[in-house]
Amino acid sequence: MKETPQELKIHNNMKKGMISVTGFLGDDERHYHEIIADDKKNLEKIGLSADKIADRLEYFSRKAFPVYDGTTIIDEIYQVEYRSYRGRIMCPFGHGGGYRKGEITLVNLQNNARLCWTPLNEHMIRTHCFFEGVGSNHRLDPEIIKKALF
Amino acid sequence: MACEIIQTVFIISVITGFLALLLVIAEALFVNYGECRIKINGKKELVVQGGGSLLSTLNDNKIFLASACGGRGSCGFCKCTISSGAGPLLPTEKPFLSEKEISDGVRLSCQVKVKQDLSIKIPEEIFNIRKFRAEVAKITDLTYDIKELTLKLVEPGTISFKAGQYVQLESPAYEKSRQSVQRAYSISSNPYQDDMIQLIIRRVPEGICTTYVFDYLKEGDKINFTGPFGDFFIRETEADMLFIAGGSGKAPIKSMIEFLDKIGSRRRMVYLFGARSTKDLYYTELFREYEKKLTNFSYVPVLSQPSEECEWKGRCGYIPPFIPEFLRDPVNTEAYLCGSPGMIDAVKKALLELGVPDNKIYFDSFA
Repeated sequence: MKETPQELKIHNNMKKGMISVTGFLGDDERHYHEIIADDKKNLEKIGLSADKIADRLEYFSRKAFPVYDGTTIIDEIYQVEYRSYRGRIMCPFGHGGGYRKGEITLVNLQNNARLCWTPLNEHMIRTHCFFEGVGSNHRLDPEIIKKALF
Repeated sequence: MACEIIQTVFIISVITGFLALLLVIAEALFVNYGECRIKINGKKELVVQGGGSLLSTLNDNKIFLASACGGRGSCGFCKCTISSGAGPLLPTEKPFLSEKEISDGVRLSCQVKVKQDLSIKIPEEIFNIRKFRAEVAKITDLTYDIKELTLKLVEPGTISFKAGQYVQLESPAYEKSRQSVQRAYSISSNPYQDDMIQLIIRRVPEGICTTYVFDYLKEGDKINFTGPFGDFFIRETEADMLFIAGGSGKAPIKSMIEFLDKIGSRRRMVYLFGARSTKDLYYTELFREYEKKLTNFSYVPVLSQPSEECEWKGRCGYIPPFIPEFLRDPVNTEAYLCGSPGMIDAVKKALLELGVPDNKIYFDSFA
């Protein structure tokens, strides 16, 4: 696939060792455009939108953020933990400002579905409909998101 | 029809790409900006060869603005005020600047190209910032995810900094990173030991610099850093001091306490350290020693989730409810906070509610 210089830059940013050690593509050999397109189809199938998912992820991270040194139970069935790390991480799509380094881990206590995401995931889902490549540490599969959060 | 469209798009893309490449080559070969003058703070003047970014040009002249991304325009740290010669604001700069900063002429120095004479303003303390080469003298495990690095300075051989300031440590390109990156870490040693510095570093999952420090860096290796940076340092008053930290946020506070010990301070000091469990505690004996050495110092660890097996007899929970116990005179208290943004937010809110003035709450947030 022919890439514009901007797309090439984004693609490079997603590779291992550019913005993070493991990158954003995992073992996925698809181009990031294809990953996004396939996940858009997945969203259609399960009847959710990227905005709706981002809203839900942000809802939990906002509630867990003040509980900075432990886990909290939200809405009686979600066990959530927010771990903060020093610094900010950049968006591979080139959006400026950087996003807090942190990891939010959620367990749905009713069905044991588990999700782990970062503040950057929330931005990439809402703005780019990018859920990361399969095998990436923070890949968020829309079906698992549905099981865990909706 | 579809085939023709694809063919046309492809041809246009190739032509555009080729022209862009030609422009880059032509600029590199033929555009000569000649000598440019950079006037700094209305006093100092540099005569430089134009064409480079302002950040790299200043670096070449040993003036180091903070930068964590190496000039790629993605960290937003390298701000400076430019009163003339900068050219129009670029779209790559806008996300990092507030409306006020834009109207004040603040720019990202990595995005501004030196094409003509410039007049810039930078804080005076920037002139104290140097690039250092150091040898890793010692690496100590403090907890399962926190290490202490002791760096013996090689060139220059000494450093001048204020307790509480930080440096930008540079990890080189290595097996897991295609490029060198710089990350900020507070100095944990005291300013009187000017031939070395110590840093406390917590592992960041997938972090390029901390992975290098934890998995690749060895004693005896050489490493570069730039500094000192930051305005988180002790104010010279007689006010009570309340130190509050969590995790690797202990670094600048350790530097401050050691400094206050060296100068024989008699100020009233309380240090509340928040951690999850006993396995997250470190330097406990060291601060117990300072309780004996300093006449007015107390160290109070607080655990949010002590495991039942460890029989923790100290305070349990989060820090804010314990603050009133140690606050003698809120208006006459300075608070120094370092830790996660969640902790800083919660503690700051509690301090304000208790009457500590906003302008006496100093903090270094991990964000």
